[in-house]
Amino acid sequence: MKNGLALFLGVFATLALSWAGLLLTAHRQIGGLSQFKDPADDTLHPQPLSGLADQGRLVYQDLGCVTCHTQQVRHEGFGSDLARKWGERGSYARDYIRDQTVLLGQNRLGPDLRNVGARLGDARPEEYAEWFYKLLYAPQSVAAGTNMPAHAFLFDVHPVAGRQPSAHALALPSKFAPGSGLEVVPTARAVALVAYLQSLKDTYDYPIERSRNTPAPKKAGH
Amino acid sequence: MNSPANNRSEQMEIDASARWPVLVFFGSALLWLLLGGVMQLAAAMQLHQPGLLAADEWTTHGRLAPAAQNALVYGWGMNAAFAFGLWLMARLSATTLRHGGWLFVAAKFWNLGVTLGVLGILGGYSTSFELLEMPRFVSLILLAAYALIGVWAVTTFSIRNTENVYASQWYLFGAAFWFPWLYAIAQVMLFKAPVRGVLQPVVNAWYAHGLYNLWFVPVALTAAYYFLPKILGKPVANYYLAPLAFWWLAITSAFAGGSRLIGAPVPVWIPTLGIAANMLVVVAVVIIGLNLFGTLAGRQAEARNSLTLRFIIISLVSFVLAAVMNLALSMRGFAATVQFTVFDGLRDWLTFYACFSTAMFGAAYFMLPRLTGREWRSPALIKAHFGATALGVGLMIAGLTYAGWIQGKLLNDAAVPFAEITKAMAPWFAYRTVVLGLLLLGHVAFLINFLGMACPFNFAKVPDALFRAPPDLSPEAHAPVGHSLKGVGP
Ligand code: HEC
Repeated sequence: MKNGLALFLGVFATLALSWAGLLLTAHRQIGGLSQFKDPADDTLHPQPLSGLADQGRLVYQDLGCVTCHTQQVRHEGFGSDLARKWGERGSYARDYIRDQTVLLGQNRLGPDLRNVGARLGDARPEEYAEWFYKLLYAPQSVAAGTNMPAHAFLFDVHPVAGRQPSAHALALPSKFAPGSGLEVVPTARAVALVAYLQSLKDTYDYPIERSRNTPAPKKAGH
Repeated sequence: MNSPANNRSEQMEIDASARWPVLVFFGSALLWLLLGGVMQLAAAMQLHQPGLLAADEWTTHGRLAPAAQNALVYGWGMNAAFAFGLWLMARLSATTLRHGGWLFVAAKFWNLGVTLGVLGILGGYSTSFELLEMPRFVSLILLAAYALIGVWAVTTFSIRNTENVYASQWYLFGAAFWFPWLYAIAQVMLFKAPVRGVLQPVVNAWYAHGLYNLWFVPVALTAAYYFLPKILGKPVANYYLAPLAFWWLAITSAFAGGSRLIGAPVPVWIPTLGIAANMLVVVAVVIIGLNLFGTLAGRQAEARNSLTLRFIIISLVSFVLAAVMNLALSMRGFAATVQFTVFDGLRDWLTFYACFSTAMFGAAYFMLPRLTGREWRSPALIKAHFGATALGVGLMIAGLTYAGWIQGKLLNDAAVPFAEITKAMAPWFAYRTVVLGLLLLGHVAFLINFLGMACPFNFAKVPDALFRAPPDLSPEAHAPVGHSLKGVGP
């Protein structure tokens, strides 16, 4: 090769091709995905995040939770995400159109969080929120042996003396409590983050995607 | 063609003209290597000592880990590639480096951008997109600085005084254009006019794969294609195949990004295309192997005597291993197990550190003495650096491959509670910390040696520190300078 111009054109074409072939094509295919209207009760899915939850999404981003957590449930036949009860079904592209930023994640040092908001079992939502707060303030208090770091900086610790105890103070086991006469209260960022975590649930199953994914479970693991 | 003597003095003139810009870029690179290395080490420790630096928001694991990665990639990696690329572009184009002042401005801005970016991540402005975590405004600083460097490199290339364009130049030239396009497109599609839904991870995967395979890998190959024939004094074996490998690698790598999304909720054709591309990459890897290992064949003893080539060989072997790993991670059955484990991370580490960074070490050992006109001062430090690198790379690959497999098995066994996985992995997290520490020690040795050589006030004549004293290591001793060997370059 001697010709600089030919080299340049080739180099340009390579990237332009992959941009058009991959990103543009994908954009044309799914860039226009819209909410689905359930014919039975006229509700739209996925439902948009609440304002508070969307603020929590920003906290999730700035604290880099994605370093350890994924948000994607792999389908039947590809890994055992469903057996781990990380979701009732694999994730669809449509699930994500409500999210401003989509962080699928690369690492599972911790469990998948795509449906963590649906994992409360019999607990009431407030009880579940309390569980999240404890996990964030002192992970060991609810998940012994974990290496998830404490995010205690998302909480205010102040003395109770001389004033009304906060209704939002965490009920921590004494081993994790900051000391007698002190209470731990979530800051606004913690409240938003937990609202976001509780909003993470893809419980609605879309008929189109379901029909596309069930018949051939072997292939469904896309 | 010039007479050998002429050619030699011309080369010295070129080297002298490149001296300060290259030293500034390389010096900054080394500082980032150290700083990023310390942050990376701390972040690795947090996985088995979760209390470490956890009290402060700035150093929580979710910020420290990406900050470290950005410092290493944009601070060390890019600066080192600039230093090496500028020097080689001037040499191969047989023209002195002109208007170097602009390069200082560029270096200042680039490093300002990286500093603000890393602080931005630590301070809570991370976007959380892999390798694009830096706050948005930083991208403008980086692109502006890059434009200066890129324009300079392309100008140098276009005023070249050589007839032929060598393999090294293709890779360098390609990388010089691919990076800013990849970066600018990713910025626009993720932040300026964000695409919706899962298109974001598709853009991110395309960028991350591109940055590693269309920037760092080509720069590493530039070094290999240059130093092997240069130091061994023989042309590249099967050189006529090299252009094929270049184009093949470029096209297949550009399409392979989708393979990072196997099993993700994106249209199936995206990962499938990526998988196919990863399979096709193998053809290019084989040809490059024929070229470079072919050049090496029969000359191993000589290669072992050259410190530069020792590093280049590590880099080449890692290049092949990284391709194998990309291929392995493209196999659905295997991916189902090891996806999202430490093995997944090892793939990029292999490309960035074991392939690219080692190539830059090798290049530095060749380039810096010629630029400064001084020799490396301490053979012990050289040995420490090389030993730590060789050992570290080997331990990292072996250890994390095994650990990733174990982690994947446990993750995919629904009966194992999460706390058990964390417990089983703790020794491996500690293992990784130890290996990273070892590599960091090597970097410290390298930095000390570099300072000893580059310090402008150090005029004391010291005996040359050679890696192995007896055989003459200087490439001029071997390379028949001035003979136009195909694929050797001026
Ligand atoms: C160092 C890695 C790490 C980081 C960073 C991290 N986590 Fe975790 N997280 C874990 C681990 C490990 C567990 C599993 C705990 C267990 O059950 O043993 C976990 C568990 C969780 C759970 C409970 C999931 C379940 O189903 O039991 C939630 C919710 C969670 N993390 C949220 C977050 C949020 C929000 C952030 C960011 C502020 C975050 N994590 C940052 C490692 C991490």
